[in-house]
Amino acid sequence: MKRKWERDLGLQGRMIFTMFLLAAVYLFFLAFLSYNGTPPVFMMLFVGSFMAIQYFYSDRLVLWSTGAQIVSENEAPQLHGIITRLCAIADLPKPKVAIVRTQVPNAFATGRNQNNAVVAVTTGILDKLSPAELEAVLAHELTHVKNRDMAVMTIASFISTLAFYFVRNIIYFGGMGGDRRKDGGGILLVWLVSLAVWVVSFLLTRALSRYREYAADRGAAVITGQPSNLASALMKISGVMSRVPSEDLRSVEGMNAFFIIPAISGSSIMDVFSTHPSVEKRIAKLEKMQQDLG
Amino acid sequence: MGLRDFVDAILGKSTLPKAKSEKLFAMSTASITLESNLGLKPSGSAGICFKPIGASAYESARKEIQELLEYSSKETETEFRLEKDEFNFLWAIFKDPDFEDLVANIHLVSETLEEHGFGGQLLCAIYRFDSEPEAGNSSRGKAVYWIYNFKQGTYYPFVPLSGKQRDNPFEFKLRAEMEREMPIEENVEKWYPLWGIPF
Repeated sequence: MKRKWERDLGLQGRMIFTMFLLAAVYLFFLAFLSYNGTPPVFMMLFVGSFMAIQYFYSDRLVLWSTGAQIVSENEAPQLHGIITRLCAIADLPKPKVAIVRTQVPNAFATGRNQNNAVVAVTTGILDKLSPAELEAVLAHELTHVKNRDMAVMTIASFISTLAFYFVRNIIYFGGMGGDRRKDGGGILLVWLVSLAVWVVSFLLTRALSRYREYAADRGAAVITGQPSNLASALMKISGVMSRVPSEDLRSVEGMNAFFIIPAISGSSIMDVFSTHPSVEKRIAKLEKMQQDLG
Repeated sequence: MGLRDFVDAILGKSTLPKAKSEKLFAMSTASITLESNLGLKPSGSAGICFKPIGASAYESARKEIQELLEYSSKETETEFRLEKDEFNFLWAIFKDPDFEDLVANIHLVSETLEEHGFGGQLLCAIYRFDSEPEAGNSSRGKAVYWIYNFKQGTYYPFVPLSGKQRDNPFEFKLRAEMEREMPIEENVEKWYPLWGIPF
């Protein structure tokens, strides 16, 4: 593995490709809607204002919806300390730091660019992880900021949300421009196209989302130089760590527990729909990085 | 599960799996990587843990092993002792500064036990390594055990901490580092600890 920070061409290529495809389906979608009678001015205003709100307020929206509280350096000196150090290594302006009061172990980064980013962690993750593991998780989130993949995700997921909105409320929108076309077939067609746009954009954002998680894992490994710390953090968060038994081998030997082969979850069709790759796959990749470092 | 295991299960029979000791030797080369890449020094101690069946078998096994050990340790000048633990498992514990001799003794003893029909009772072989004390920490380094499971023919790491806790992050790191060099137990649900290892 290269120790140097490099542009992640794979991620950038995918980001551009996703944006391009999304723009194409998006334009097609708009053209179709206007052809079917929705006033174009109304469409543009509606879409434009929503995108602007999404773009400029995404960080605040996310913080508001998750109940995250921005914390000062005095309130969380250790957390601030780790982030300051990681930002210096990754050559990033220091983001705002927020804490969510919940026992669910999690962390996320949001914001439209490197200067307006927020990194948030839950109290659950602070309790559960060791300092080295927490550092690895924060490095992962900072890599999202560094790779600027949040803005793309924000816009990309907005389009899919918009299409979903159309799918749900198509009767209302159909009625708005129903002067030229009175037939119900047009509305049904709009609905079908919206549905197709929604499905395609949904799958595209999911694919990009999973790729950017791997990219952030790689970034965390480069920043901390210790891929295994992120692997062990992921194991703790996902509960893999708790599968390591604590009862003595000699006491279970009598029950033949030694020979039982429990099945570990395999892959499934649901993989396609999840935003994050499976923990097993991420850990396997991190372990590979650890081996390459050694 | 093979057909035979299936039939056994239906008829209520159960047989102990045969011991697999051929992968034991993976430790000889792995120890070099452990020391150079991870700073883990071989402690010069290793042991085999097995369960004798019945009191008479226990005594005969003990005698046989005693003789065997006396014979094999003469050649390599390996110190040994036999110990019984709270679970009534018997331990053969070796001390030798030469790591190759330790591996050779462990292998010889396990082979002999198998030849005498004790293969099914072989629980595990354990090698102890010591980590270097961490910077700023004056206490001595941690004991790092590699446990060889004879039933699976695989190794797994065991790093005990005080109060029956174990250092899982370090164990996972050891797995990541050593996966390519040794047969490591893939299923972490089989990474059973052994508390109070007597060396």
